[in-house]
Amino acid sequence: MTTTSTPVKDTVTLARGIRRRAVDMIAPQGFGYLGQALSSAETVAALYGSYLRPGVDRFICSPGHYIIAAYAAAAEVGLLSEEQLLSYGQDGSDLEAIGTERTPLVDLTCGSLAQGLSGAAGFAYADRLRSRTGSRVYALISDGELEEGQVWEAAIFAAHHRLGSLVVILDANNSQVDGPLDSITTIEPIADKWTAFGWHAMDIDGHDVAAVHAAFDSALKDERPSIIIARTSTVHGLDVLPPDADGHFIKLPPELAAAAREELADA
Amino acid sequence: MHNPPYATELKPYGRALVALAEQRDDVICLSGDLTRQTEIDLFQERFPERFVHAGMAEANMISMAGAMAREGLQPFVHTFGVFATRRPYDQIVNAVAYPNLPVRLIGFMPGISSPGGPSHQAIEDVAIMRALPNFTVIDVADALEIAQVVPHLATIPGPVYLRLKRGEIPIIFETDHELRLDKAHILTDGDDVALVTNGMMLAASLDAARTLAGAGVGVKIVHVPVVKPLDSATVRRAVEQARVVVTAENHSVIGGLGSAVAEVIAEAGLARPLRRVGMQDTFAEGSRTAPYLFEKYGLSTQALIDSVWAHLGHDGAAPIAERQELAVGEYQPV
Repeated sequence: MTTTSTPVKDTVTLARGIRRRAVDMIAPQGFGYLGQALSSAETVAALYGSYLRPGVDRFICSPGHYIIAAYAAAAEVGLLSEEQLLSYGQDGSDLEAIGTERTPLVDLTCGSLAQGLSGAAGFAYADRLRSRTGSRVYALISDGELEEGQVWEAAIFAAHHRLGSLVVILDANNSQVDGPLDSITTIEPIADKWTAFGWHAMDIDGHDVAAVHAAFDSALKDERPSIIIARTSTVHGLDVLPPDADGHFIKLPPELAAAAREELADA
Repeated sequence: MHNPPYATELKPYGRALVALAEQRDDVICLSGDLTRQTEIDLFQERFPERFVHAGMAEANMISMAGAMAREGLQPFVHTFGVFATRRPYDQIVNAVAYPNLPVRLIGFMPGISSPGGPSHQAIEDVAIMRALPNFTVIDVADALEIAQVVPHLATIPGPVYLRLKRGEIPIIFETDHELRLDKAHILTDGDDVALVTNGMMLAASLDAARTLAGAGVGVKIVHVPVVKPLDSATVRRAVEQARVVVTAENHSVIGGLGSAVAEVIAEAGLARPLRRVGMQDTFAEGSRTAPYLFEKYGLSTQALIDSVWAHLGHDGAAPIAERQELAVGEYQPV
């Protein structure tokens, strides 16, 4: 069983690296999915730095636009080159802003929201059919996706079949296109819903790396499918952003990009 | 070919799938809560460890099947045609079609073969599945072709949509019939009409051709079990050899076989008048029996005869299709 081997302070450093690289990736366009990288930086850092074993485990990025955080993390740990990373979202690049079949790192095309968990369940079930043990399926999903019924179809299936190799990271940043998620619809209490469905659910501060590591460790020990509900913010770790920044699609004009780089370099 | 009324078989698909699974251990079977209705109770009994109850959750079922196919498995996914295509269309695009994975989607109860009303009548499944890159779309005609198509499916590298009649399946072809996936089959010869058809409309087309031949009209039947990729060369040749063209499909005339033939005619620059027999851009309704719907919506043998007759510009009444008394288990088209 995999347990944490990377010190928590390294995850803090890796999370800062994710933020810095995400700023570099969207700066050429002046806007982009920076908020998703800021909210998921610690969970994705822990995943890439400590838990995900390339070639053994799978990673599914269900909200496809969150792939920016995975690209940044992969560059931090040496799975992507500097040059590849800076082609992010450019014409002809394999690093599409929403991961596809052409994209390195992802095991599944997502982007149309709320389909990733079903794919993850499919992988986990295929492992069982093939008597393949010891591999984990990590799925990053978002709180906005809980508005789609397919998530709950997958949750019911995974719990019924006790797909214990599934570990879901739910980035609960309370952000969707039309505004704060809780102003659009009520999805709370999230943990109670998953628990009621038969999942091992943990509700944590998603920017607290010690809590994140403890949650992953707990997930790997539990025989049920596990979900880590990571409470996060789309502006966390970047104080220079204006208070009214739109977390779904943050504007980053050159002066702000320069200030962001400075803040993250000095941190 | 046999003559009507045709003998019938039950569960030719279910038996063929079990036979395939005996040969290939990568074949797995998914059910969307319609196990007996899609003939896969046979698979469930024989290979319970490779049978996946996905429940009433088509979106999840399709997305899972895509992931399973990535793992080297051959998922055969079963439900009614409406639920196999309409309901999880976006999942089919993202999890199956775009990644070009060997998922076999089997949709039962095509067109108006269900008296269950528009919720259960797959009248646009061919159109929407044909629009998807990488998909092969198949509509076979009888029990023999069903038995033959199943092992073929496992050899197609990409995804397949197969629509299948439910219940008693007629045996139209003699045992020497060899289903081709790359060629349309010319079944009868005649110079007046090219009648392009498939699926449940083949039996009606054969009946219509027989009746029309008695009235001096030559009908060349082009049976097209694979709507996509279409054997456009054979269709084109048949069109060139005929005065007029008629298509017959248990589906909307928009986007299905009739549209595919229209595209061939237009792209080849052929000047042949075309009539499309099928659902005329309308929904049907619930009824007590399906034959009532075939009659009402112009998919009967007589409707086909009338259409050909008028299309050729013949005056007077069209010849009348012979109907026979059916014994239990026998089949003839409406």
